[in-house]
Amino acid sequence: MSVELATRLIDILGGLLLFTMLLILAAGQLFRAIYAVAAQAVFLGIAGAVLAAATGNVDLWIIAGITIVAKAVLLPWLLMVVVNRVHISREIESVMPASLTLILAAGIVVLAFHLNASLGPVRQAITGNALPVGVTLILIGVLVMASRRKALVQMVGLFASENGIFFTAMAVSQGMPLIIEIGVILDVVLGALVMGILVLRVRSSVDTDIADLEDLRG
Amino acid sequence: MTSHLLWITPLVPFAAALLMLLVRSRRALAAMDVAISLAVLALTVAIARQVQVHGAVSALGVFRADGLAVVFLLLVGLLSVAVSVATVGWMRHEVGRGQMREDRLHWYFALVHAFVATMLVTVLSDNLGILWIAMEGTTITSALLVGFHGDKHGLEAAWKYIIVTTIGISFGLFGTVLIYGAAAHAQGGVLTGAMNWSSISAIAHRLDPGIIRIGFIFVIVGYGTKAGLAPVHMWLPDAHSQAPTPVSALLSGALIKCALFAIIRFHSIALQACGPEFSSGLLLAFGLVSVVVATPFIIVQHDLKRLLGYHSVEHVGIIALGLGFGGPLGTYGALLHVVNHGVTKALVFLVAGDGIGRYGTRDMRRMKGFLGLAPIAGTLLLMGAFSLAGTPPFSIFVSELIVVRAGIAGGRFVPVAIFLAMVVIIFAGLIHHVGQMAFGSAGEGAERGREALTPLLAMFLLAAVMVLLGLWIPVRLDEVLSAATGVAGG
Repeated sequence: MSVELATRLIDILGGLLLFTMLLILAAGQLFRAIYAVAAQAVFLGIAGAVLAAATGNVDLWIIAGITIVAKAVLLPWLLMVVVNRVHISREIESVMPASLTLILAAGIVVLAFHLNASLGPVRQAITGNALPVGVTLILIGVLVMASRRKALVQMVGLFASENGIFFTAMAVSQGMPLIIEIGVILDVVLGALVMGILVLRVRSSVDTDIADLEDLRG
Repeated sequence: MTSHLLWITPLVPFAAALLMLLVRSRRALAAMDVAISLAVLALTVAIARQVQVHGAVSALGVFRADGLAVVFLLLVGLLSVAVSVATVGWMRHEVGRGQMREDRLHWYFALVHAFVATMLVTVLSDNLGILWIAMEGTTITSALLVGFHGDKHGLEAAWKYIIVTTIGISFGLFGTVLIYGAAAHAQGGVLTGAMNWSSISAIAHRLDPGIIRIGFIFVIVGYGTKAGLAPVHMWLPDAHSQAPTPVSALLSGALIKCALFAIIRFHSIALQACGPEFSSGLLLAFGLVSVVVATPFIIVQHDLKRLLGYHSVEHVGIIALGLGFGGPLGTYGALLHVVNHGVTKALVFLVAGDGIGRYGTRDMRRMKGFLGLAPIAGTLLLMGAFSLAGTPPFSIFVSELIVVRAGIAGGRFVPVAIFLAMVVIIFAGLIHHVGQMAFGSAGEGAERGREALTPLLAMFLLAAVMVLLGLWIPVRLDEVLSAATGVAGG
């Protein structure tokens, strides 16, 4: 695969990642947000495969496979298990008006691309627009987490943020070493497991959403 | 030079953690806990000796110990011994009060050792990716410990802790990726060890300053969240106050210092790549904001452990200030403060745990007459509080003085003035709160039992270090700190 083709494909996949991010941001139903983050992880896996074909780096094939298994199958499945176990309301309420959320999201996109344009020759080290797309995903993920008071949506925001990091990391000079990627994904899965345990424990003892607890202040 | 101790040291508590899952007796678990911690301390001292004799040592291509790592390594080793010893008596008491279920104790001890193991990997890693993985590992293990009691408040604190610090340090990972990308670009391709701090720092002056700046911003926000720097400290007072007391001591004394260690590693790269202004300026700003933000919360606080939590925000701020003032003096002061604050804060948390056990509350307005109930622990509480407030002849006074001198020498008069004003206010607030707790006569409900030997033993150990470092800095420690200052770019 030629470098030009790979760059174009990465930019298209970057566009799809941004699109799924907007779906997460706009989702009014919990399961839609979970499907969107799963779709995002699939695109991320495809991006890994494209970069593997372009650079001839075998490690990236493995990383692409692990990404799809862990982030597109395992984590959404874990979220679904928790949703079904706790019978929470499936509606997502935002603590800020939709218009403000969208303005902030647009601001993040502009900022990220502006930041990218300010960089010098080092930009060559990163394929296509992977850097601004990564920054955008991370920051919109934080926006999702900050504007929703529901534990599972906050987890979705976190996973989407992490997808942004993985996307940039793959596109940076042939990706991070395989062993590091595996360690990072292991941490992500273990972290998600612990979060799931906490959500379930709160449900079983006080029957509220853990993100709704706010007794600790001052 | 290669040293196998670098991977053996974290492996020991990790293997012990797995082994502990099979043990059911409280006495056996506590004995293992102390024995393993002593072994860890011995191993860290052995590594310190090697570094002193041979200079930096490495292992497996991803681990490295240099002067900087040794400072944090010794702190983690010392605190894990003190906390293990204190846990013996504390645990007996908690089980007696019905606060801890005897059938879940093996999980508690195993998690503590897994937590210590991840902290050891953090400070021993050369590879910045491994550093990140270990750092996230500390979150996963300690979040379970924060929510260990399983009550509503504990779970709320654990949730806030894991969600805030996980998103926080994912910023740190992004910063790491960018800096790694810059290094790979400068080398013209990925070479072996391209993610290692030692190889990135060797070519740091050739790195593209633009991308290092963006990377460092992500790193300081990310690892700064974990270190408890304001304004990204939201998780800290909750987690520190809700965690079981020995865990609070480890969180405050050791864990947030490990996050600072990561920041210092990146700071030394940024110093060479972007010049002295950029990363020092950011550290200065974060440090000053932390000291200022913590002050009002310390004044109005009535919850003893929350008070100590906010106090950690202040002290992390002071360390960041020292690094921000920079130069050999500021960096040396900051590193000395890492040790002093770690030891003193762990001591005060252990004393606080004793007090909370006696009164059954954390509200300082209902904890009168502690000196009368527990004369020895009460005296140690007063000593610890005066040290935390920065009074001579205790150790924190010395490191704060060095930081202030570095600020004045650097001509940073406004930050120094703000810092000193806050320290005075905090002094008044802290001594008021602690005085209220120490003096007066205790109410009917308070437990008047004899002071147990084991928490006291641990407290004496920490108090001895605290007093000693206030009076004079041993030559060995001075050498270690000077070497660390050199590594940190001071």
